[in-house]
Amino acid sequence: MRKILNSLLLAAFIAVILFASRWVGQQAYSWMPPQATAEAKQVDEIFSFLASIGTFIFLGITGIITYSILTCRAPKGDWSHGHPARGSAKLEILWTVVPTILVLWLSVKSFNIYEQINIQGLTPVVHLHMEEPANAAVTSNDSKPVGEVIEVFAKQWAWSFRYAGNVSTTELHLVVNEPVSLALHAQDVLHGFYVPEFRLKQDIVPNRTITINLKPNRLGKYRLHDSQFSGTYFALMEANVYVESRQAYNQWLAVAASRQPTIASNQASAEHTQPKTIFNSRWHTFEPAEPSVVNYSA
Amino acid sequence: MANSTHSDESPMPLEKLQRFMPNWLKRFLPSGGGRAHDHHGKSMFGFTVFLLSESIVFLSFFVTYIALRLTSPQWLPPGVKGPDLSTAVIINSVVLVSSSFVIQAAEGALKRRQMKKFRWLWFTTSAMGVFFLVGEVKEWLGLDFGLSTGQVGGTFYLLTGFHGLHVFTGILLQIIMLVRSFIPGNYNKGDFGVSASTLFWHFVDVIWVILFSLVYLWRA
Amino acid sequence: MTNNSREGIARAGESENSQSSQTGWREYLSFSTDHKVIGIQYMVTTFIFFLIGGLLAMIIRGELITPQSDVVDRPLYNGLFTMHGTIMIFLWIIPFNAGLANYLIPLMIGARDMAFPVLNAIAFWMIPPGGLLLLSSFLLRDGTAQAGWWSYPPISIQNPSGHLLNGEFFWIVSLVIIGISSIMGGVNFITTIFWMRAPGMTFFRMPIFVWAVLSSQLLQLFCLPSLTGALILLFFDLTLGTHFFNPTQNGSPILYQHLFWFYSHPAVYVMVLPVFGIFSEILPAFSRNPLFGYRSVAIATIGLAVISSLVWAHHMFASATPGWMRVLFMFTSMLAAVPTGIKEFAWTATVWRGRLHLLTPMLFALGGAVMFLFAGITGVMLGSTPFDLHVNNTYFVVGHFHYVVYNTITMGIFAGIYFWFPKITGRMYAEGWGKIHFWLTFIGANLTFFPMHPLGLQGMLRRVSSYAPEYQWWNVVASLGSFLLGMSTLPFIANIVGSLLRGPKASDNPWHATGLEWKTSSPPPKENFAEIPVVTEPPYHYNDSEDFRPEAATQE
Ligand code: HEA
Ligand code: HEA
Ligand code: CUA
Ligand SMILES: [Cu+2]
Repeated sequence: MRKILNSLLLAAFIAVILFASRWVGQQAYSWMPPQATAEAKQVDEIFSFLASIGTFIFLGITGIITYSILTCRAPKGDWSHGHPARGSAKLEILWTVVPTILVLWLSVKSFNIYEQINIQGLTPVVHLHMEEPANAAVTSNDSKPVGEVIEVFAKQWAWSFRYAGNVSTTELHLVVNEPVSLALHAQDVLHGFYVPEFRLKQDIVPNRTITINLKPNRLGKYRLHDSQFSGTYFALMEANVYVESRQAYNQWLAVAASRQPTIASNQASAEHTQPKTIFNSRWHTFEPAEPSVVNYSA
Repeated sequence: MANSTHSDESPMPLEKLQRFMPNWLKRFLPSGGGRAHDHHGKSMFGFTVFLLSESIVFLSFFVTYIALRLTSPQWLPPGVKGPDLSTAVIINSVVLVSSSFVIQAAEGALKRRQMKKFRWLWFTTSAMGVFFLVGEVKEWLGLDFGLSTGQVGGTFYLLTGFHGLHVFTGILLQIIMLVRSFIPGNYNKGDFGVSASTLFWHFVDVIWVILFSLVYLWRA
Repeated sequence: MTNNSREGIARAGESENSQSSQTGWREYLSFSTDHKVIGIQYMVTTFIFFLIGGLLAMIIRGELITPQSDVVDRPLYNGLFTMHGTIMIFLWIIPFNAGLANYLIPLMIGARDMAFPVLNAIAFWMIPPGGLLLLSSFLLRDGTAQAGWWSYPPISIQNPSGHLLNGEFFWIVSLVIIGISSIMGGVNFITTIFWMRAPGMTFFRMPIFVWAVLSSQLLQLFCLPSLTGALILLFFDLTLGTHFFNPTQNGSPILYQHLFWFYSHPAVYVMVLPVFGIFSEILPAFSRNPLFGYRSVAIATIGLAVISSLVWAHHMFASATPGWMRVLFMFTSMLAAVPTGIKEFAWTATVWRGRLHLLTPMLFALGGAVMFLFAGITGVMLGSTPFDLHVNNTYFVVGHFHYVVYNTITMGIFAGIYFWFPKITGRMYAEGWGKIHFWLTFIGANLTFFPMHPLGLQGMLRRVSSYAPEYQWWNVVASLGSFLLGMSTLPFIANIVGSLLRGPKASDNPWHATGLEWKTSSPPPKENFAEIPVVTEPPYHYNDSEDFRPEAATQE
C-alpha cells in the first residue's frame, strides 16, 4: 500500500516538474529581444531547449532536497544515526551515465545548430593559422555567394562603416532578407560586434580582418554595441543599425554618396570634454581617437 | 544496497600497485600513511613538485615563442641576422650540459662520503656554470638586435634571460652547499640540500636543451 | 605506532610550550609557523579583503541604479570592477580556501603540522604586502588598473597615465607576488597530503575535503604558472618595450587570452572544489548519514580537476577562435557537468531519508548546494557555443558566475566557518543570529544576482556604467538586493566577534561528527594530537549503529 502510494507520489512529482520544464521552455522565447536574423531563431531554440532541461534538473533535485527537509527532521539534540547506506553501485552508475548521455545530446544539438548557423553565414574564423599573413584581406573562403560586403571599422570609441563605392557613414544600413558580409576591422584595441537582436557576437582584432555573414530578416532600427571591453568610454561605443527594404536602402545610399565628407560627432569625445558625475576621480584617461570623416552621419 | 558494508580498500589499489613500481617512483606514492618521519623523501618530493610547476612557466614561454614564430609573417626584421649558432654558443652548451654529469658524480661522491672528491667536483660544476653565464653575457653584448627588435628580440632575451636567471640561482645554491660542507656534522641529518641542488641543475640543463633547439637549431 | 616516538624526539626542540593550548593574540601578528595560527591569519586577512571588495561592489551597484553614468566617472568605474574582481578572486576566495585548508588538513589527516612550516609562513606573509600593493594603486594620481580582471592586451598595455608606475604595473606585480605565494602553498599542501598522513590513513580514507584540497592545489601547481608566465610577458610589454601581445607589431593578443584562461578557468575550480569539500563534510554530519558514494565523489573530485584544465577556450568563443576550437571546447565544457553531477546527486542521496538537523552550517550548505545547481545549469548553457555567442560579455555571464562565487562559494565558506568555529575557537556561536544571517544572505544574494540573467538575455553588456533605460527595472532590483546583501554581513561579524569573546564553551565534538579533527580538543593543542592517531575505519562513519560507534560520540 505504502509502496503504491510512494510510486504515485513520485509519478505526480515527475509529471509536475515535466510540465513546469515545458512551460519554462516555452516562456524562454519571450525572455529574449525580438529575432531579427535567420540565425536568431535557432539560437532561441537551443536556449529554450537548454532552459527546459535545466528546469527539470533543478526542480528535480531541489524537490528531493525540499522533501527531505520537510519530512526527515531529527528531534533537537537527538544525534543518532540515519540510514546505513554508504553507496549503491547501481545508482552511482546511473547518475554518471545519464548526465553523460544528456550532455552529449546537448552538445550534439548545439553543434548542429552551430553548423546550421554556419550554413547561413556565420563563418568560423578559419585562418588562425600560420600560412596566412595576419593582415590579409577578407578571410572568407567559402565559395557560396555571401552577398554584399560592408566594412566595419572600430576604434576607441566610435564605429564607422564603408559601403561599395567608398561611401562611409556612422550608421549601419542593411537590406532585409539579403545575406550580407561584414568585414570587421579594429584600429587600436579589441572591440566586439554585437546587435542583441541578431544574436551574434564577434570580437574584432587589430591587424586582422574577421568576416561574419548574416541575413537580417526583420525591418527596424537596432543598436550596435561594442561587446569587448575597450577602455574608458566603452559603454558609449554604439551605433544605429537599420534593416530596411532594398529600395529604402538604395535611396539612402544614394543620398549618402552625394554628401561631402564631414567630421562625425561622437559621444565619447563629447563626454571626454564634459564629464558630469557626482564624484570625479580626475584619473587621466586615453583621449578618444580622432573622429572619423564620413559622408553620412546621423 | 550494493555495498553497505564499509569497504575501505581503494578501488585502485595504490598500495598493491606500488610493488610493481621502480624505486624512484615508489618514493612518491606513500599511500598507506605513516611516512611523516621520512624528512628527506618528503623534502625531495616537495622540491620535485616545485620544479614541475616551474617548468610550466617555461612551457608558457616556449608556447609563446612557437606561436609568435609561426604567425609572424617576417620573423627577422630586415638587416637582423638573429641569434647565431656560433662555435662559442656550441661550446657553451656543451659545457653546461656536461656539467650535469659532473654534478651527478659529485653527489655520488658525497653519498660515499668522499668529501674531498665531492668538493672538487662540486666546485667544477659551479665553475662550468659561471663559464656558461659569462659566455651568454658575451653573446648578448655582441648581438645585432635589442629587446624590442620585432618578436625575435623579445622572445630571445626573455627565454635566455629567464634561463640564465635559473643558472645563476643554481650557482648560488651550489656555493651555499659548498660552504656548508665545511660545517662539521652538516650531513648528519641527511643531504637534502645537495640532492636538491643537483636536481635543480639537471632541470636547468634540460630546459637549456629545449631552448637551444628552439632558438638556435630551428632555422626559418 | 612505531614512528611516533621518533616524531616526538625530532620535534621536541621546536616546541617548548606544546603543553599550553592557548595561543596569545600576539602570536597572530607574528611569523608563526604553526599551521593553525597561519590558517587563522589567512582567514582573517582575506575576510578584510572581502569587505573591501564588497564595498567596491556596493559602489558599482550604486552607479547602476540609474541608466546614466552619474555617480562615479568612467575611469573610476572601470577601476572599481577591475579591483573588485581581482580582490574577490585573488585575495578573498583563493587565499581564504588556502587558510581553511591550512587549518584543517593536518588535523584531518592526523599530522602535527604541514610538511614545510617555514615555507607555509612565508607563503602567508606574501599575501598582505601583495594585497596592500594592489590597494595602494588607488592612491596613484592616475588610478588603478582599469582593464578588467582579465587584463586583456592591448587595452591593458595602453598605459593612459604615461608613467612608469601606473595602476597596471601595480596590478601585475601584486598578482605575481600572490601567485608565488600560491605556488608555495601548493607545494606544501601536496607534500603534506602525500607524506604526512597518519598510519592507516590511506587515500581512500581521506575526507572529501582533503581530496578537494589535493585536486585544487594540483591545479594551482600546474595551471597557475601559465598565468605567471603571461603576466611576466605582459609586464615586459607594458614597461620594457617588447611587443608579445601588440597586434600591430605581429604580437598576439589572442595568445594572452589562451595563457590567461589556461589558468583562470581551472582557477574557478580551485575556488569551488574546497567548498564542495565543505559541503561533503557538513551534509553527512547534519543528516547523520555516511556520504553517499564516497569513492565516486573522491574520484569525481580528481576528475573535475582534469576536465577543468581542458575547457579554457569556452571563455573565448566570441574571440577570434576558429570553428573547430569552438566545437571542441563546447564538448569538454559540457562534460564538466558529469563529475559535478555525481557530487550533487551524492549530496542529495546523503540528505535523503536522513535525520536532519537544520543548524546554521547545514542551512548554508544546503543553500549553497542548491544555488550551485542553478549556476551549473547556466554554466552548461554558456557552454553551448551558439547560445554563448548571444550572451557572452553580458550580464548573463555575470549572473552565472556570481551564483557560484557568492551564492555557492561564499555561502559555503560561511557554512565552513560556522561548522568549524567551535573547533577553532573552543566556543559556540549564537545559533539565532546565524539563522538570521543565513536568511538575509540567501534572500539578498538571489535578489542581487537573479536579475542579471534576464538582463543578459536582453543584451545588457557588462563593464558599462551607463545603459539603455529599458534595463533599469531589473537593475534597481539587483542594486537593492545587493544593499541587503551588504547588510547581511553585519550580523555575521557581530556573531563571530561576540561569540569569540563570550560564547559558551564548546565541547570537543559538538556535532558528533566523524573525522580526526573532532577527536582532539577544541581548540586543538599546539601539535594537534597528544598521540598520532591510527586510523582503522572508513570516513563518514555514521552508519553503524551498535558494533562500532565513532569514539567521539561515545565520549559524551
Ligand atoms: C567559480 C566557480 C565557477 C564554476 C564552478 C563554474 C562552472 C561552470 N562554468 Fe563558469 N564561469 C565562472 C565561474 C565558474 N563557473 C566565472 C568567474 C566566469 C566568468 C569570468 C569572466 O568572464 O569574468 C565563468 C564563465 C563561464 C563561461 C564563459 C561565458 C562567456 O564569457 O561567454 C562558460 C562557457 O562555457 C562557463 C561554463 C561553465 C560550466 C559548463 C561550468 C560547469 O562546471 C558547471 C557544472 C555543474 C552542473 C551542470 C550542475 C550539476 C550537474 C548535474 C545535476 C548533472 C546533470 C546536469 C546536466 C546534464 C546539465 N562559465
Ligand atoms: C569572486 C568573487 C566575487 C564575489 C564574492 C563578488 C561579490 C559581489 N559582486 Fe562581483 N565580480 C567578480 C567577483 C566577485 N563578486 C568578478 C570576477 C567580476 C568581474 C570583474 C570584471 O569584469 O573584470 C565581478 C563583477 C561584478 C559586477 C559587474 C560589473 C560590471 O561588469 O560592470 C557587479 C555588478 O553588480 C558585481 C556585484 C557584486 C556584488 C553586489 C557582490 C556582493 O556579493 C558583495 C557582498 C559583500 C559586501 C557588500 C561586503 C560587506 C559589507 C560591507 C563592507 C558593509 C558596507 C555595506 C553597505 C554600505 C550596504 N560584481
Ligand atoms: Cu570599442 Cu571595444
Ligand atoms: Cu570557465
